[in-house]
Amino acid sequence: MLKLNVIIVGFGFIGRELVKAFHDKVDEIRRIDKDFKVVGASDSKGYLYNDWGLDLKRLSSIKRLSDYSADYREGGSTEELIESGNVDLMVEATPTNIKDGEPGLTFIRKALSKGIHVVTSNKGPLVVAFKELTSLAEKKDCHLLYEGTVAGAIPIFSLVKERLRGDKILRISGILNGTTNYILSRMYFEGTSFELALKEAQERGITERDPSYDVDGIDAACKVVILANALMNRDVKFEDVERTGIRRVTQEAVSLAKKSNFAIKLIGTIDSQIDVAPKHVPINQPLCVHGTLNAIHIEADLAREITLIGYGAGKETVSAVLNDVLTIMRRKAESM
Amino acid sequence: MKFDLTIALADRPGQLIKALEPIAKNGGNIISIIHEREEPSGGFVPVNLVVDFPSKWNLRKTIDDLRELGVAIIRSEEIIDTTRITAIFIGKIDMKRLAEAGIRNAEIVGFEVSTPASKNACLKLELEVPTESVEEVIDDLKRIAKAEDALLLTSI
Repeated sequence: MLKLNVIIVGFGFIGRELVKAFHDKVDEIRRIDKDFKVVGASDSKGYLYNDWGLDLKRLSSIKRLSDYSADYREGGSTEELIESGNVDLMVEATPTNIKDGEPGLTFIRKALSKGIHVVTSNKGPLVVAFKELTSLAEKKDCHLLYEGTVAGAIPIFSLVKERLRGDKILRISGILNGTTNYILSRMYFEGTSFELALKEAQERGITERDPSYDVDGIDAACKVVILANALMNRDVKFEDVERTGIRRVTQEAVSLAKKSNFAIKLIGTIDSQIDVAPKHVPINQPLCVHGTLNAIHIEADLAREITLIGYGAGKETVSAVLNDVLTIMRRKAESM
Repeated sequence: MKFDLTIALADRPGQLIKALEPIAKNGGNIISIIHEREEPSGGFVPVNLVVDFPSKWNLRKTIDDLRELGVAIIRSEEIIDTTRITAIFIGKIDMKRLAEAGIRNAEIVGFEVSTPASKNACLKLELEVPTESVEEVIDDLKRIAKAEDALLLTSI
């Protein structure tokens, strides 16, 4: 009988929203795994653990794990939680760090080494150690799914890995960062300057106080690395991506492009070259989406062209994480 | 390589088939053929062909063989597929230097400049480029952008 004990590592926005989704959809989940339970959750200060399963209703109503109850072990480490011996699946949702992938990288390594399936929404570990982690997962015969790392709710990895297995992916291009797309869309539709559009994005909480992660193309380049490694069997590192951000894109350039029926977008491309750069996109091209939307265009030898459009960050990412968890449950159930 | 080849055939039966043989023998693949029998002039009929040859040499050899058969060549020229490229430079671009730097194989068919006096001037170029040279031309544009410290935007 299928019985997957789940832990959630990282109790930030994604961790908390995932708990809510687990709570709201528990009936659907239990249709696949009758005994589904979340046995643990951790943050940077400690962890919760209960063999019988945590109370999802209570867990979804708190902001900090320490508010939960006596099950909280202050000062306890995530490693201890992973090693508690009763964990089958870890959802890793710690903050992204693309320099060394930590702390997520250590947690994922540890979990996979113990044969624990992993679902992550964290780009850092995959950008730093994609091949290592996927090889480790294969060696330990466990699943490592990461749909939430690229373009949030767009099921790009599932689509290509499951439904386009017979195709060779020749080229991928896309709008992979919602913040820069919001800024460029404001410049296109409202005629605002880059600086003003950026300020608006900051005020609306679409970007951080330090926006360089978005506007300098760092975030999009991370996604390009993961796409190239996962779907085109490349061995690409962050440094291999030629990267130009959108800071120098002026209102005049946006207007000139618009007059010729183009919109300027920050585009990540993987073909003979791998780059992230502002490019002009014909406005009737399916890739030309606006606002915070993401879009990915795949060119394959048999399917030819497929474009996917959807939301790439925030709450929508929970859809990717939840569905990864369900995918692992379904695969385990089918293999029994 | 595609070539536009126009020949003049004597208005007698069997001439066309005779003329096609050297084309096939020299590796030519006929893409289209227009045989204008309604317009004979001085007993000759013009035949317009579009032929794909592996190289210019194959075309030359074909022309020699056709002449040997007494077929007159009215015209033979390469058909070049062209692509329209739009490039936008952001930054102060010196137009004189741009012209001097030269973009190989490209014909500038349109340009527009916005706020030329500012350090973030904007120049939009429309270029007509042989399709097979598109990458080469984009490399040239990148080289110019780098030398001028400008940001180059190309189309996806």
